[in-house]
Amino acid sequence: MKAGKSLGAGILSVLLVSGVVGCGNNEDNTASPSASASASSGAEASKTPDTSSSKTEKVKITYSMWGSAEEGSATQAVADKFNASQDRIEVEVVSIPWENYMTKLNTQAAGGQLPDTGMMKEDGVIQWSSEGMLNDVSAMYEGSDSQPLDSLAYKYQGKPVAYAAANEVLLLYYNKDMFDKAGVAYPPSALDKAWTWDEFVAAAKKLTVDKKGKHPDEDGFNSDGIVQYGASIENLPWQLETWVLSNGGGFYSDDGTEVRVGEDASIEAIQKVADLYLKDHVAPLSVGQTDDGIQRTIIAGTVAMATNGAWNVGTSLNTAKEEGLNYGVAVLPYMKEKVTLNTGGANVVFSQTKHPQEAMEWLKWYNSEENNWGLISSGIWMPTLEKWYTDETLTHKWVDNPNFPPYDEYKSAVVDYAQSSAARPASWFYTNHTTDFNTLLGSILGDVWTGKTTAKDAISKNLEALKAAHEGSN
Amino acid sequence: MSGAVYGQLRSRKRNRRIASTITFVVVVFFAVLVLFPIWWIFRTSLMTNAEIYRYPPSLIPADWLFSNYEKTLQIFKFWKYLLNTMTIIVPSCLAGTFTATLCGYAFARLRFRGKNLIWALCVGSMLLPAMVTLIPLYIGWTRGLGLHDSYLPLILPYFCGGGAFNIFLIRQFIMSIPRELDQAATIDGAGYFRILFNIIMPAIRPAMIVVALFIFIGLWNDLLQQMIYINSSEKYTIALGLTNFKGQLKQDWSLTMAATCMSFAPGVIFYLIGQKYFVEGITLTGMKN
Amino acid sequence: METVSKAPRRRSRFFLAEARVAYLCLLPAFLGLIFLTYVPLLGVLGISLTNWTGLATPEFIGFDNYIKIFTTDPYIKDSIIATIYFAILSVIGSMIYSLFIAMLLNRKIPARGFFRAVFYVPYVLPAVAIYVGWSWLYEANFGFFNYLLSEVGLHKVLFIADSSYVVPSLSLISVWLAGNLIVIFLAGLQNVPIVYHEAAEMDGANGWQRFLHITLPSMSPIIFYNLLMSLIANLQVVTPALALTNGGPGNASRFMTYLMYDQAFVNYKLGYACATTFIIFAILAAFTIVLFKTSNRWIYNEGGDDK
Repeated sequence: MKAGKSLGAGILSVLLVSGVVGCGNNEDNTASPSASASASSGAEASKTPDTSSSKTEKVKITYSMWGSAEEGSATQAVADKFNASQDRIEVEVVSIPWENYMTKLNTQAAGGQLPDTGMMKEDGVIQWSSEGMLNDVSAMYEGSDSQPLDSLAYKYQGKPVAYAAANEVLLLYYNKDMFDKAGVAYPPSALDKAWTWDEFVAAAKKLTVDKKGKHPDEDGFNSDGIVQYGASIENLPWQLETWVLSNGGGFYSDDGTEVRVGEDASIEAIQKVADLYLKDHVAPLSVGQTDDGIQRTIIAGTVAMATNGAWNVGTSLNTAKEEGLNYGVAVLPYMKEKVTLNTGGANVVFSQTKHPQEAMEWLKWYNSEENNWGLISSGIWMPTLEKWYTDETLTHKWVDNPNFPPYDEYKSAVVDYAQSSAARPASWFYTNHTTDFNTLLGSILGDVWTGKTTAKDAISKNLEALKAAHEGSN
Repeated sequence: MSGAVYGQLRSRKRNRRIASTITFVVVVFFAVLVLFPIWWIFRTSLMTNAEIYRYPPSLIPADWLFSNYEKTLQIFKFWKYLLNTMTIIVPSCLAGTFTATLCGYAFARLRFRGKNLIWALCVGSMLLPAMVTLIPLYIGWTRGLGLHDSYLPLILPYFCGGGAFNIFLIRQFIMSIPRELDQAATIDGAGYFRILFNIIMPAIRPAMIVVALFIFIGLWNDLLQQMIYINSSEKYTIALGLTNFKGQLKQDWSLTMAATCMSFAPGVIFYLIGQKYFVEGITLTGMKN
Repeated sequence: METVSKAPRRRSRFFLAEARVAYLCLLPAFLGLIFLTYVPLLGVLGISLTNWTGLATPEFIGFDNYIKIFTTDPYIKDSIIATIYFAILSVIGSMIYSLFIAMLLNRKIPARGFFRAVFYVPYVLPAVAIYVGWSWLYEANFGFFNYLLSEVGLHKVLFIADSSYVVPSLSLISVWLAGNLIVIFLAGLQNVPIVYHEAAEMDGANGWQRFLHITLPSMSPIIFYNLLMSLIANLQVVTPALALTNGGPGNASRFMTYLMYDQAFVNYKLGYACATTFIIFAILAAFTIVLFKTSNRWIYNEGGDDK
């Protein structure tokens, strides 16, 4: 029993519905031209472009993105420029709310109704690719003068299957006023001066204050009455990998095939992060339930230092800056090795499309930074093409504006950092089943953050399950 | 003797007054507890995003930013979304309430073959979370019937009984009406539909209003299905519109909450209108004095 | 199941007409049940026997998914416990709360219309707003409740950040949301004949006795409905996990429907998720059947089927 037949059993009944009611007509559908692409399983896709119509009529392709309706129309305006610039391709943008983006995409995939091209969350790319849902895009930048940073290519079996739409890197944000008040030196923005973990914890202790003004290493300090915390490390599983790598461990081996999270170095790193709350009393408790880390910490004015992604500069810190927040950016502290992670949601071409060439042409046009200038100049996205990092005139054009922290600081702590040896691609660029793995790891560590168990016990008890999750078999 | 009776009545009256004062105090107490989280949402809608997270948290906004509501209306096209939502809700509510009443009547009063089986199918369908059949239904509606970016997959199910929960509710209410009423009508020669329309329906009007209310609220807040079936922002509903504040990686909570505070008003208004009929109003003659 | 008496077999014209009317009434619902529930459910059953990810072509793998659920699944046991724990707390809490409030609101009090609306409002609010609002109250470090606790010198309670408190905390929200139950109870209370109350009062029955012997019995079909509805809804709980806790900490709030959602739409295990569905279905069916079986003992059926 193989393949289409068994799916036939699966959705036979559904087709039965359509048979009975019997007025299925996919040809009217203009919103989703791939609708009629495949008749049975949704996985087969004809890869021949529709040449018959291309001379007389424009090929219509759909591009889906996450974001609000407003952002959708902004992107459509960009696409309209593309549509006007040539007479072969007409791009229509569909925006889908962020929380439900992958849910809708999965449903569409199952129904064989995917758009031609679109954005995709990081942790789905390799799996979709391994299931044959994405087209090979290695031809996209052939003969181009500037290539994307190599760390921003999603690779499955060595071949690029997608390029990140943006670059992001993990940083240390800090509140300058709190540092000045406590008389502590700012965290360094230059990589070669990066703080060690112990320096970081020591600074955090000086910045942590309870109601009576006492610090964690003083007598009479009350950890239930802390009014200002020194530091917060974002502990969502994918960001946690930074610290594990920094301590000489890893979630996976370098090629993504073996699970290494059970090694002592990995476990020790996770415990150190947990101990910031449990033992050092310098961090607020976080159990990885929300993704508004910077708002809850730096912007709320309750935490002096917090780690998170570069996008926060544009999504929330620029507004907070206007309202009087005096913040800075620095490189991450390190345990043994200096590490930060690169990431960025992908732009992909779905294999269900009938128009892969046109889709790629659009993506290449759209991916060039001038067309995303709104997102880049506000600080939400960092450019993906190498030239913006190496050519300082371009860097000035990008960073010298009031949305960003001072130029030198950002240049050193973000622009240089992102292309330094410390910057490594997050594991979802080359590893399959990271969603499964991260979900399970997050659930295993739930009681570690509150101190009900230790990282060592929690991880060793569940190591086999983690390995199974990595193989996609549980 | 009569003086004693009089005194007893008076003391009973006094007891009643004390009892109703206590009732009132208890109601106010609970109302304050229930309103507190709602106040929390409302005060958030009048704050800056930084103030929301500030510590110590404050019960009252620092400077009552009613301008948040103006900003919200620029992004949250309330009237358009309301119109779109109503396009879904009005036919669904009418059809759902009506077909649920028909089914509830059949289950509660009529005898026919296969009743147990159909009833079991009906109850069984309540046990399935809506997400379970999301993908097969999506395939059926889009690929099977070619309904893309359409409201029909959201509306048509309500023409099919309005959901087992609602059928069940109607059935329970009909069962709590004494049978003598329709038996009397049968003797007068009334047919089944006349009994349904002239006797049962007026008697279960509270339940019908409640069903309409539930369908209304269910559709009003059903983000998942609307998100799956609706593509173009022209067709956005209130529930989808509320996601407009979550952009690429950022969420504007004060505006989200402002939009929320605007968006639940229609539901409350519908309730206030409906409650006249189902709590203040007329019930069966002969059942109340 | 609740007794639904067998239709008499005599083929009188009377009966034929009655049955015809019944089938006509049930036609729309019957079509809905077949095409919107049970045919798709067959599809779900079919998918549960494959390893479909929702993406590529599936393979038939027999009962492997079901075997895996009972042997190696790292979540299912915690998930079932969390769901049942949550459902029990929430059902008991919201039944008592909503009946109590409905009884109060049925009495003559000033501004009754206003108060009836107040208790209903939580039910109207969209889920996102509700859970985000509560998350600010519950937040472990800077939430409002912990601020109050620290002001009076008590230890912090971690609420949804602590695996021991997360389910009770979420149940409290679920009780708060029970405006729909209150509405149904209020509508039901209109059907309790006032004459009975007055007669009982004349006989000297006190409030509690009247509640036990008049209100409860005549409300029993409605109580049964609310009990069933709240049980099913709470066993199917998913929104708090989606909007607030992501199933954590640990697996403490990884409710079954959330688990299924996560498998189907986040972790690309559609076949597996479909198999999980049938486990959920079985658990719900077990609870429902027990409830129906015991219902005959306490439902006072004024106008029900004649035997």
